[in-house]
Amino acid sequence: MLSSLNKYRHAFLIGLQSNLVYRWNFAVRGFFSLFHLTVVFILWGAAFAGAKNIGGFDFGQTLTYFVTLLVLQFFIGAFNEDYQISEEIRNGLINQFLLKPINYFAYRFSIYVAARLVSGALILLPLLIALPFLGSYLTYPHEWWRLALGLPAVVMSALIQFSIAYCFGMLTFWFLEIQGFVILSMAIEVLLGGQMFPLDLMPAGIFQIARFLPFFYQMYFPGAIFTGRIGLPMIYQGLAIQLCWVIALLALNQLLWVRGLRRHTAVGG
Amino acid sequence: MHHYLRIWLATARYSIVRTLMFRGDFFVWSVVELFWMTVNLLLISVIYGHTDSIAGWSKYEMVLLVGTSMLIQRFLMGFFWSSIFEMGRNIRTGYFDFYLAQPGNVMFMATTRKLDPDGLINAFVAGGVVIYAARQLGLHPGLGDIALYLSMVFSGLVVHYSILVLSISLAFWLTSAQGIEGSYFTLTEFSRLPKEAFKGVVTRILFVWLLPVVVISNAPARLLLTRYGFEWKWAGALFVFAALWFALAVFVFHRGLRRYASASS
Repeated sequence: MLSSLNKYRHAFLIGLQSNLVYRWNFAVRGFFSLFHLTVVFILWGAAFAGAKNIGGFDFGQTLTYFVTLLVLQFFIGAFNEDYQISEEIRNGLINQFLLKPINYFAYRFSIYVAARLVSGALILLPLLIALPFLGSYLTYPHEWWRLALGLPAVVMSALIQFSIAYCFGMLTFWFLEIQGFVILSMAIEVLLGGQMFPLDLMPAGIFQIARFLPFFYQMYFPGAIFTGRIGLPMIYQGLAIQLCWVIALLALNQLLWVRGLRRHTAVGG
Repeated sequence: MHHYLRIWLATARYSIVRTLMFRGDFFVWSVVELFWMTVNLLLISVIYGHTDSIAGWSKYEMVLLVGTSMLIQRFLMGFFWSSIFEMGRNIRTGYFDFYLAQPGNVMFMATTRKLDPDGLINAFVAGGVVIYAARQLGLHPGLGDIALYLSMVFSGLVVHYSILVLSISLAFWLTSAQGIEGSYFTLTEFSRLPKEAFKGVVTRILFVWLLPVVVISNAPARLLLTRYGFEWKWAGALFVFAALWFALAVFVFHRGLRRYASASS
């Protein structure tokens, strides 16, 4: 059992090294995400000038939500995993995994965890620089149970993030070019994952529908737990729905892998 | 001039034929762009569900501003994006040699090689958003106003084009300009904000005047709004910015071109 896990530990360590090579790319990306935060600050600051609170939250709480989501994005967001998987299928690099006693999903997930550790650590740097300015606005609730319930939600969010990216990567077995699908899904995820605006600001009916979609649990759900945007009953329900989505997506990943391999042709040597 | 028009028409014809070959791809990318535009409009809709004004701008004034910003960006995506994006990669790989051997100015040839009809189709949608917002606001611009609006949109396009060419030209020095295009999209986020929302001196100087992304969208939108109307300061600033940024892009591109040494392997 341990020896079988050992190979994924090595995949994780290689992932860590190869992502450290691209540390400057992540650092630049992190730096530019401060520009995005500036847009959020200006836009919502102007919106709050005409309203004391929006959706029951003040400007500080709303800004805290966006900062939390930014951190989550760098720690659990699937950046280009779909594209990497797609390239491996398209270029035939995947063939080597078919001949080895290695689970492709576990291998890619190990690399994803390594990559997010690097990118997550690197977003903290620009945020530390911005902290003297942002610090006075950040207001987190003083309820420690939110941390206890939020952390498992983050782990499941990471699994959902990766699984959706993995599913899109698997589409390469059927479609030669998946970039269009990926960017379309990115737009859906940005909207229904709560990166554009807190989902609780949507009309109640649409919010209720969104709660049953996997995108809700990609980013918004853990972010809303940490920032106090949702209460305990909704958190318990949410954790149950999130777990269902994790299981469903893992099953879908396996199904696409098995069905995709039937269509796959390994050419050359 | 006629020579360049003929070259451009040939590349446009080639791009359209190529699009007809990959119809599915065209459909998917059109939907992608349409969806991103919808996401931006939904953001406005959600915020105005909770407040009446953003920096003194009403909901449909903001839709007009965002529509104008989208219109300029769709033109950029349709006419230039693919060519400029590939330029960075071609400089790195050495495929840029191909443009040096072509019968025309290198910058023109490299930045106008491909047309993306999906971007251009969505320019109609962005135009529709502007018209819809204008109707909701009860605006009735005259022909002169519309002509001036379109010339401002064109000037905005020139500024965006120049900033993008400048950024990608860095590949002549850095070899790799990968990731810079993503940063460009971050900058365009500022163009969807009204100038009045910029309270800080630093942000105002940086994003309104140094990188004029805010002026580009605000100037034409303000022209249509009756409470602002025609303002010499804004129109003049936009045309001067367009000329200055284009001149800078031409200068930097040609300086960079001197450093181009093809690929080693």
